[in-house]
Amino acid sequence: MSKIFPKSANALPMQIVIFLTVLTGVATAAVTYYSTPKYLRVGYQPIQPVPFDHSLHAGNLGIDCRYCHAAVEKSATSSIPTSQTCMNCHSIIKTTSPLLEPVRQSFATGSPVPWVKIHQAPDYVYFNHSVHVDRGISCVECHGKVNEMSVVYHAKSHSMGFCLDCHRDPAAHLRNPQDVFNLNSLTLADQGKLEQAHQMIKDWKVNPPQSCSGCHR
Amino acid sequence: MKRKFDHSAPEGASAGPRYWRSLDELAETPGFREQLAREFPEGASSIEGVDRRQFMKIMAASFALGGLGLAGCRRPEINILPYGKSVEYIVPGLPLYYATAMPLRKWAIPLLAETHQGRPTKLEGNPTYAPHGGSTSLLAQASVLDLYDPDRAREHTKGGQPLATADVNDLLAGIHRQHAGNGEGLAFLADESSSPTRARLVARLKAQFPRAVWAEYEPVRDEPPAEAALASFGRNVKPVYRFASAKRVLSLDADFLHAESGSLMFARQFAGGRRVAKATDPMNRLYAAESNFTLTGSMADHRLRIASSQILALTAVLANRILGTTDYATLAQGFTDGAAWIEQCAKDLVANAGECLVLAGAHQPAAVHVLVNAINAKLGNLGRTVDFVEIPESGASTLPALVTAMKAGAVKTLVIVNGNPAYNAPADLEFASALKSVADVIRFGSHVDETSAISGTHLAATHYLESWGDARTADGVVVPVQPMILPLFGGLMEVELLARLAGEEKPDAYEQVYATIAGLTDGSRKAFEKFLHDGILAGSEYKVAAAGFDAGRAAAVLATAKAPAPATEENIEVRFVTDHKVDDGRFANNGWLQECPDPITKLAWDNAILVSPRLAKKLGIYPHGASGPQVARVELAEDFHYKERAFIGEVTVGGRTLRGPMHIQPGLANFTVVIPIGYGRPRSGNVGTNSGVSAYVIRGSDAPDIASGTIRNTGERLNIATTQEHWSMEGRDIVREANLEGEEGYRNQRDFVKEATIDAHSPPVYGKDQGASLIYKATETPRGNSLYETPNFEGLHQWGMSIDLNTCIGCNACVVACQAENNIPIVGREQVKRGREMHWIRLDRYYTDGQLDAGAFGGPGNKEIPEDPQTVVQPMTCQHCELAPCEMVCPVNATVHDDEGLNVMAYNRCIGTRYCANNCPYKVRRFNYFDWNKRALDALYMGPLGHQDEMPELVKMVKNPDVTVRMRGVMEKCTYCVQRIQQAKMAQIRKAGASGNVLVPDGAMKTACQQVCPVDAIVFGNIRDTDSAVSRAKAQDRDYAVLGYLNIRPRTTYLGKLRNPNPDMPDYRPLPFSREEYMKKNHPGHHGGAEGDEHAGEKKGEG
Repeated sequence: MSKIFPKSANALPMQIVIFLTVLTGVATAAVTYYSTPKYLRVGYQPIQPVPFDHSLHAGNLGIDCRYCHAAVEKSATSSIPTSQTCMNCHSIIKTTSPLLEPVRQSFATGSPVPWVKIHQAPDYVYFNHSVHVDRGISCVECHGKVNEMSVVYHAKSHSMGFCLDCHRDPAAHLRNPQDVFNLNSLTLADQGKLEQAHQMIKDWKVNPPQSCSGCHR
Repeated sequence: MKRKFDHSAPEGASAGPRYWRSLDELAETPGFREQLAREFPEGASSIEGVDRRQFMKIMAASFALGGLGLAGCRRPEINILPYGKSVEYIVPGLPLYYATAMPLRKWAIPLLAETHQGRPTKLEGNPTYAPHGGSTSLLAQASVLDLYDPDRAREHTKGGQPLATADVNDLLAGIHRQHAGNGEGLAFLADESSSPTRARLVARLKAQFPRAVWAEYEPVRDEPPAEAALASFGRNVKPVYRFASAKRVLSLDADFLHAESGSLMFARQFAGGRRVAKATDPMNRLYAAESNFTLTGSMADHRLRIASSQILALTAVLANRILGTTDYATLAQGFTDGAAWIEQCAKDLVANAGECLVLAGAHQPAAVHVLVNAINAKLGNLGRTVDFVEIPESGASTLPALVTAMKAGAVKTLVIVNGNPAYNAPADLEFASALKSVADVIRFGSHVDETSAISGTHLAATHYLESWGDARTADGVVVPVQPMILPLFGGLMEVELLARLAGEEKPDAYEQVYATIAGLTDGSRKAFEKFLHDGILAGSEYKVAAAGFDAGRAAAVLATAKAPAPATEENIEVRFVTDHKVDDGRFANNGWLQECPDPITKLAWDNAILVSPRLAKKLGIYPHGASGPQVARVELAEDFHYKERAFIGEVTVGGRTLRGPMHIQPGLANFTVVIPIGYGRPRSGNVGTNSGVSAYVIRGSDAPDIASGTIRNTGERLNIATTQEHWSMEGRDIVREANLEGEEGYRNQRDFVKEATIDAHSPPVYGKDQGASLIYKATETPRGNSLYETPNFEGLHQWGMSIDLNTCIGCNACVVACQAENNIPIVGREQVKRGREMHWIRLDRYYTDGQLDAGAFGGPGNKEIPEDPQTVVQPMTCQHCELAPCEMVCPVNATVHDDEGLNVMAYNRCIGTRYCANNCPYKVRRFNYFDWNKRALDALYMGPLGHQDEMPELVKMVKNPDVTVRMRGVMEKCTYCVQRIQQAKMAQIRKAGASGNVLVPDGAMKTACQQVCPVDAIVFGNIRDTDSAVSRAKAQDRDYAVLGYLNIRPRTTYLGKLRNPNPDMPDYRPLPFSREEYMKKNHPGHHGGAEGDEHAGEKKGEG
C-alpha cells in the first residue's frame, strides 16, 4: 500500500498546535485591545464646543451637580443643561467672553449647543439615573471625580462587568444619601461603616437587579 | 402647546468614520448608483433570484475592507442637543401626557397622548371619560402612525405649483370676497363631524352665504337613520343603548361591538353584563340575526344566519308577536325560515321586559328602526335599556343633491373638506365627471389622494394630533382636540380653514375653539384650561329626551316600506360593510392596520369577496362531494402556510362589475356576498395603494349597504395572505368552554375547565401541592430535576396575567396597542404569506361545529365547511412559563428567567438559531428575518446593496424610546411590557425613599394590551399579593392553563368561556360545540359524545 501522506506530514500536528496557539494569542490580544470597554472607552476626552470647566464650576465654585443636571433625581437621564441654564449666571458674569459665544448664540436662536457625548450607554441598555442617586449611589461611582476634571473624560469602563460588580455587592459602593452629590465624600465602606451600609440595604430594601430584565428591554 | 420643536440633526454632526459596503462604492465608480437602481428589481422578488456567487463576492469584499479599516471599531462621535431655552414641563427622559381626542364621523374617542420631548408616540384612553374606562380602539391606537406617514401631503398646491401659507390665506379670503352677498355658486362638501366649533362656523358660513350649499357625505353609516327617530318620536333624537341594564339583547344585523357609533362604550357595558366572577353571578344573553359574520355575531349565544334584506320581515314578525297585532303582516310575508327561532326569542324578551334590548344595524332601512323602536317601547325598554337623546340638527345637504347641482353648472366654487368623494362616492353619481363642471375646486385633505388628483387646488390638512379642535363622544360629551406637535408638514387646521372662509377676525384655531367652549362654560380662560386638562367638559352630554313612541307617525313610514325579495343563487344579496381595519379607506395607508389580520377572516393586507360555504360550492370553488376533506386540514381551504389560493370572482351590481379574490366565510347567510369597503385605493401611498379591491366601483347610491346582484367564478387564482390557516382545534381543549346552565353547565360543574378536559387525565402537575396557593406553587413546589436550572423566584413581585375568554370580543385593539408600545415592525404582504408577521400578541379564532369530527382521529371526517359555527377567540402571547421550553434549548442563554418570573429575551445575546421558537408550544416567538426597521418593504432582499444607514427620521419619531428596536437575526416576543414594569418599580422606589416600601401597588402599572382592552378581559399584576386583581382572577374556578399538562407552568392563564343559551331555542345544544368535538375525539363512547351524535341530525339554526 502506497503512502498517502508524505513524510513531512508528520510535523503537521505540531505545526497546527503552534499555529492555533499563536492565532488564539493574537485574537485575544486584538479583542482585548479593540473591543473591550476598558480600552475603548476609558480616557475618551473629546473636545467640547464650549470649554466648560467642571473643576471650576463644580470644584472651586461648589455648584451642586443638580443645578445643571436637573433631571437626575426624576428621570432616566441626568439631562444636559439648556443654554438658558448657563445664561442664568452668564448673562451677568463674563458676558463678553468669546468662549461663551456658542452658548449666547444658542440662547438667542434656540438652536442647541452640540455638546459631545462622553458617557454613552448602548441602545439596548436602559440605565436610570434617578433610582441610583436615590439609593445612595453617588455620581462619582460611575463618572469619577468630575469636580476635579477641567475637561471631562471617560473615567470608568462602564462595561457590563462594571455594572454587575456593584449590583452584586452594593454595600461596598453605598454612600450616606446626603453625600450622593458630594463628590469628595467616601463610601460608607471606606469610612469603615460597612455595618451601616448593610443596615441601609435592609431598611431601604436596596435590591439591585441582576437579571437581564433589569437593564435590557 | 404652541411651541416649536426642532427634530432635525445638527448639520455636520455625523462626520464619523466611513464604512464601505463594496469595492465599487469605495471607489465611487461612475454610475454606481445608477447600476444599483437598474439591478435591484431582478433580485427584489425573492432570494432565489439573487446570483449567489455575485452575492458572496460582494459580501467578501465588504468584510475584508471592513476588517482593514479597524478605525471603524472606534466609537462615532455623538452629540447631545439640549434645548436652547428651557421648555416648560419637559424633563428629558420622562413622557408628558396631554388630553386630546380622536374624532371619527359623529363621535370621538377621548385620549391621553404620551409625548416624548414633544413627539407623540402612544395613545391611551382618557380614564376621566368613564364610559370608556381608559380604553381605546384599534383605529385610535394606529392613528399615531398616520401622523408620521411619509405619504402625507407636504405642501399646499395649486395647479401643481406649491402655495405659500400667505397665498393660501389670500386664496381663502378671496373666496370669501368673491361670494360675498348671497354665496351663489359656492358649495362645500365635508365629512361628518361632531365638532361644536365646526357647527358654529358652518352656521356662520350659512348666515353669510345663505344660498351656498353645505353638503356632508360619509360612505359609512354608523348611526341609525335620523328619519326613523323622527318617525318614531317626532323629534331629532338618537338612541344611546344602556347594555349594563340589559339581560337579553337581540341584535338585528347590528355589529354594536365594533361598527356602530359608540361601540367602545357599548362593548364595555355589554362585557360588564357578561362577566362572571362566581357561578351565581348573572350573565346576559345575546341573540343575533345577521348576514355577515361579525364580532357581535361571534359573541352571540344564539345566532341566526339571515340575509340583511330579510331583517325587515323578521322584525315585522317579531313586532307582530310582541305587540300582539297583525298590523305588519304584509311586511312579514314570505318569512318562514326562522319562525321558531323568533318565537322563542320573543318569548324570552317578553319575559325580561324592561330589562332587554332590541337594536338594529345603522345600515338597515328606517322601517326596521321604527319597528325596533315600537318593540322597545312596548317592552318598556325606553329609558331603561335605551335612552333617546336630543342631538343637534345637522341641516346638511346630501351628496346626490350636490352632484345634481354640479352637473347643472350651479356650482362655481367647491370646497371639499376632508373625505375622499372621488374614491368613495357611489359609482352611479359619477362624481369625478361632475367635478369637471366646477370651475374652482379646492380640496382640503391630509393626503394627495384620488380627490386631490382631480382638484385644482390642494390644501394640506393637519393630522388631529397637530390640530386644535373639539368633538363630542357618542353620548355627547364635549372633548378637546389638542395639538401635540407643530404641523410636521406645515398643514392647515380644519377650524382655521372654515374660520378664514367665514371671514372671522381671529381665524386662529385655538381662539375659535376657545370661543366655542367659552359659550358652553363661564367663559373664563381658567374654565377652558380645566377643559383642556381634564379632556372632557363635565355635564355636556346630550340630554335625554322624554320620548314617547308615536304610533301614528310610525304607521306612515311603515306603509311605504316593502319587503324585498329573498336572495337566491341567481340574485344574490351584496353587503358592503365597513372594514374592520381601514374603515372606509381612510386608514388604508396605515401599515399597522393593513398588517393586522381581520378578526374573523384572518386576512391581512387584502380584502376579499366573502362567500358562504353553500354559495362557494355552487360556484364550484369546491367540487361537490369531494373526497371528504375536512375543515381542519389545509388541503380543503387550499391554504399553503399563510397563503390562500383564492379563486377570483366577479360580482355585478347594477351593471357594474368588480373582480376580486373570493374567501369562504363560514357563518354567512347562504346567498349573501360580503365585500369590505376601503381597499383598492388607486392613489393612497406606499402602503395602501392597490391593496385589495375597491367595492366602491360597484356601489350605487340607491342601495349603498344592501344591494342585489350576481356573482360568477372566473376560475383564475390569486394568492392572498392569511395569518391563521387552521380553523379548528381538532377536538383539543385549547379553549375551554361550557354553558352557564344545564347538567354539564358551569353552575353545576364549577370545575369544568379541569374535570371535562385533558387535565383530568394527565398526572397532576403540582403533585401534592395541587390545592396550594398560587405563590406557593410558583416559588416552593419543586420544579422537577431538570439539568436546566431556573432561578428561584425570590423577587418581591411575581408577575402573572389572566385573560378572560368570556369577555374577550376579539376586537384586535391589543394587537395594535402592543405594536405601538413595543416598536413592532410591519413585514408586508409577501412576508405575511411566508408566516413572518411579527405581532407579539395574536388572536386565535377557532370555529367549532358539533357535527365536525376529525377524520385523522378515526371519525368519518366532515364533508363540508360548517355553515353555523360557534366561534371562540383566544388572545395568545408569550405565556411566561416557569419551566420554559424555549430556555432549555437556547445555546447562548439569550432567553432566561428573571427572579420575578419573567421569561426575558436578551436581544444582544441572541444568535438567531430559532431553536426556542421551535420548542415553544404556543408558537409565540417571532424572528427578525430582515432588518424590518431599516429596509423599505420592497427592498428586503437586496442584501448589502439595499442597506440604508439610518431609519428615516419620520419612522424614528413614532418609536417608543423605552424599548429596544430589534435588528435582523434576533428572536423577540412578548415581554409583559417589561419597560412599564421597570418604570413602575423605579417610580415606587423613588417614592419609597428610606421607608423601604418598594412594592408596586396593584393597578399602578398596566401592560399595553391590558390598558387598551375595552372589555377588561386582560388582568395583569403581582401574584405574590393574594389580594391583587390578577390573584383574584386566577383564584376563580374557571382558571386554566393552556397545555398546562406539559408541566411548563405558564404564568398567563385563561378563564374559561361561558355561553348562555336558551334551552327553549331550536338551536339549543347542551354542550358548546368544542366540548362535543372534544368528547367525540377523546371519549367516543361517553354520553357527551352520544349526546352530540343524537343532536347532530337535527337541523341547527335556520336560514
